Amino acid sequence: MSHESATQHRSTPLLIATSAFIFIWLIVAAFPFFWTMWGSFKIQADFFSKSDWSNAVTGVNTTARYGHAFTGVAYEGAWVQQDFWRAAVNSLIVTVSVVVISLTFGTLGGYALARSTARYAFALLIVALIFRAMPHITLVSGYLLPFFKLNIWGYLPTAIIVLVAINQPFTLWMLRSFFMNVPRELDESALVDGCTRGQAFCYVIMPVMWPGVITTGLFSFLLAYNDFAVTATILNQHNQTMVPKIASFLGTTQTEGNVMFAVASVVSATAPLFVLVLVFQRNIVSGLTAGAVKG
Amino acid sequence: MNQTTSSVSIRGLDLHFGSVKVLTDLDIEIGEGEFLVLLGSSGCGKSTLLNCIAGLLDVSGGEIHIKGRNVTWDEPKDRGIGMVFQSYALYPQMTVRGNLSFGLKQAKVAKSEIESRVKRAAEVLQIEALLERKPAQLSGGQRQRVAIGRALVRDVDVFLFDEPLSNLDAKLRASLRVEIKRLHQQLHNTMIYVTHDQIEAMTLADRIAIMKDGAVQQLGTPHEIYSSPVNRYVAAFIGSPSMNFFSGSLSGDNFVSDTMTLSMDRYAFDGTGRQNGRVELGVRPEHVACDEAARDMPFQVEVDVDVVEPMGSDTQVWGSLQGEEFRFRVDGQSTLKTGDKVLVGIDPARTCLFDMTTELRL
Repeated sequence: MSHESATQHRSTPLLIATSAFIFIWLIVAAFPFFWTMWGSFKIQADFFSKSDWSNAVTGVNTTARYGHAFTGVAYEGAWVQQDFWRAAVNSLIVTVSVVVISLTFGTLGGYALARSTARYAFALLIVALIFRAMPHITLVSGYLLPFFKLNIWGYLPTAIIVLVAINQPFTLWMLRSFFMNVPRELDESALVDGCTRGQAFCYVIMPVMWPGVITTGLFSFLLAYNDFAVTATILNQHNQTMVPKIASFLGTTQTEGNVMFAVASVVSATAPLFVLVLVFQRNIVSGLTAGAVKG
Repeated sequence: MNQTTSSVSIRGLDLHFGSVKVLTDLDIEIGEGEFLVLLGSSGCGKSTLLNCIAGLLDVSGGEIHIKGRNVTWDEPKDRGIGMVFQSYALYPQMTVRGNLSFGLKQAKVAKSEIESRVKRAAEVLQIEALLERKPAQLSGGQRQRVAIGRALVRDVDVFLFDEPLSNLDAKLRASLRVEIKRLHQQLHNTMIYVTHDQIEAMTLADRIAIMKDGAVQQLGTPHEIYSSPVNRYVAAFIGSPSMNFFSGSLSGDNFVSDTMTLSMDRYAFDGTGRQNGRVELGVRPEHVACDEAARDMPFQVEVDVDVVEPMGSDTQVWGSLQGEEFRFRVDGQSTLKTGDKVLVGIDPARTCLFDMTTELRL
């Protein structure tokens, strides 16, 4: 109620100014994505036209070649001819594995670290933080030689292990802070009520932790999904995930149409993220605030 | 009440975290059906002791027996205890019914039995209407009732309360306090109750254990603790406003200080005898007579009034006796005001004498 009356009292010029600002900001932020999406249904001669940029909007050359201003030829080329579907499957395997493994160790470890009174618990966290602060590529370069020697370079599980190693410190920190906000008395109460430590964790603590698990899981998902440094250096041509695959499309622009494969794959790779964030937005928001503000 | 058999017995209990000693060599026998209150300021080890009894902390030495069984190394669930926490610690994702029945389901109690026990506990605590609600939809008092109910349904011998009323406002605290007392009279279970609130301790307890630095200072009935505190700490801790202390010395039958000389011939000396030396005289503010009433007292003195605090039913007066602070309590109708001089009287029989060095009662 008071909120409404407060907005009524706000002056009109201020309202216009703020609305205009938000509108402009939205366009600036969203434009590149919509531009790419629009362009992905054109051919290279239009979207990367050197003569007239407006060709990208009108699609003159696309109409000339295919009789229509929109064509799915870039998608067909990427997904079918260039086996982008295989990269999508690989991405799915890598991200799901990374999320599941990180969350499993993250919840168990985070819970233990949150409840531990031992002095080394905090030392462990600090070490983890330092590990997280390092650029990913430094880890990768260290891993390469042993991976070659062990003959495990190029395979998906190898990339999964490295990504989990990079992601684990973050999940530990994040989940630990969520567990810290779950009062210790809840554990104790469950213990008195007849639970073992494990049952208390499963039946009492975890149900309260879902927002934290979902938030952490989403960030883990994004890290694995968007990773380039690890997947580009660890995986062989056949096992590439989406991001290095897109990069390889861009690296071969000499061939006509290849750059359009990249554009189409970028749009394909971005779409699931939108869905994911939209589905989990409630949980993310409550998870983020639950982690930040002490209940 | 049958106190011949002991319900909970704590024998030589030690607890230390590294080099920090939290509890040292505690011995407490708690009778069947007794209401014992562990009272002390924060950090005295009272909650720690309760957690040891509950089995939530591993002890460093000594034994805990419940119902004649050594439970020192048993899991909390196997000790036959129910516990109520300060922060309620209700399971937020479960309804009130879920909260009450969770422990019973864990113990694989039959469905019909769970049903009837939950019903009975809900009746006792008057939370029948709330059974299908989630804890977030309850007020503080209701939540604490549910927390008590969760201990109640488990049908245990010993109830442990860890400052259960500290999170409630003053009015609710008073009413729930009475309810806990009524509950105890109804159930006759052994109850161990931790609090830092001396009113709760005095009103609820059969016996109070005053703790300081991980040791029990005095264990006795509320009356014993109030009228014959064993040492200066207990005397100062119990009573609000707290006791006045005057330092002086004991020579023969007289307490002598710069400001007063009291004949202590009516004072009930402790067994330790009455050796002369430096002592402190403790006088409770509520045992100081004022004005007319003071004239009947064996010892009288004139006091300057510094601050007057009317409390309604009575008025606290902060006076000074030649520079020494002197608190006393007068009737609420009193017209005393700052700057007045008033005659006060003390009955030595109701005072306490403490040895200056050992701080023990003489």
